[in-house]
Amino acid sequence: MDSDRFDRMRRIGWLDMDRISLSRCLVAGAGALGNETVKCMVLAGFRKIDVVDMDRVAGSNLSRCVLFRDGDEGCRKSEVLARRAKDLYPDAEIRPINSKVQDLTEWDYDLVLGCLDNFSARMHVNSHAVYHGLPYVDGATDGMTGKVQVVLPGGPCLQCASNGSHARTADLRFSCTRDSHVFVPRMAAEITTTSVIAAVQVREAEKIASGRTDLCAGGITYYNGEDGTMDTVGLDIDPDCPNHPGDRQ
Amino acid sequence: MTMKITVVNTAAGGSIRMELEPYEKVSDIIDAAADYWGEGAGAFVLRKGPKLLVGSRTVEEVNLSDGDTVEMIPDPEGGR
Repeated sequence: MDSDRFDRMRRIGWLDMDRISLSRCLVAGAGALGNETVKCMVLAGFRKIDVVDMDRVAGSNLSRCVLFRDGDEGCRKSEVLARRAKDLYPDAEIRPINSKVQDLTEWDYDLVLGCLDNFSARMHVNSHAVYHGLPYVDGATDGMTGKVQVVLPGGPCLQCASNGSHARTADLRFSCTRDSHVFVPRMAAEITTTSVIAAVQVREAEKIASGRTDLCAGGITYYNGEDGTMDTVGLDIDPDCPNHPGDRQ
Repeated sequence: MTMKITVVNTAAGGSIRMELEPYEKVSDIIDAAADYWGEGAGAFVLRKGPKLLVGSRTVEEVNLSDGDTVEMIPDPEGGR
């Protein structure tokens, strides 16, 4: 019994460890959220994971990225993350993809987890996930606050929750760039917030992979680490959302 | 018919009263409130009780009524 790596998880009735093991997952982003998310995923029994990120490890990542080490600076994040995650679960098949998520051409997945750091990339992943009918679990942080949004096929998406302030923020990022990359300012970030948000993302992913979307948090879950509150807010499909043409009035 | 609502800034604290027409959009409320508080950068959403208000919808469509209180929440963008 104790030789079974997932014995304790099998005691949770609704968790389907076989389905979790077989789920083909995409993790978009190998930074702080990506590290925590992939760590939780492999420990939770997810085995088939593609990790896409175009960036390289920097010294400032080391305060939040559990799978990066001193000496990794300059190495590709997706490759380091894949290698170290495999140390945690040698049966895992983790494929690093060194590119912008916008350049991804294959969307042959069962589940997508967003661990990104700007609205433009999020909206790109969101629209592709909705188009391909894939569940998408998006995470985001800012200092001591964070949020998780679960997008299920047929339900409201990230675009439905956005407004002019998101578009202006995204435009600002693009207006600061010279080579089509998104300029991302140095935002406040802290590991405990990252850990909470990533853990919620992976728990929602467990529900989806286990075929228990009925247990998923509907809408958007907001976390405030300063006052220790977590609250889920409902969301409707925006009839004007381009990702839901069938819902136009 | 013109209505008055209260917008609470959950990040910075404080609140403002706004007069709205039924045809005005949720995103207009966010823009006006963010402008008032000098929150030029970053994204925000509006929440009324347990629901997030869809930005493209009008005050009338989201059933805002005179005396309502809504919360303006910063929408996190980071993840690095």
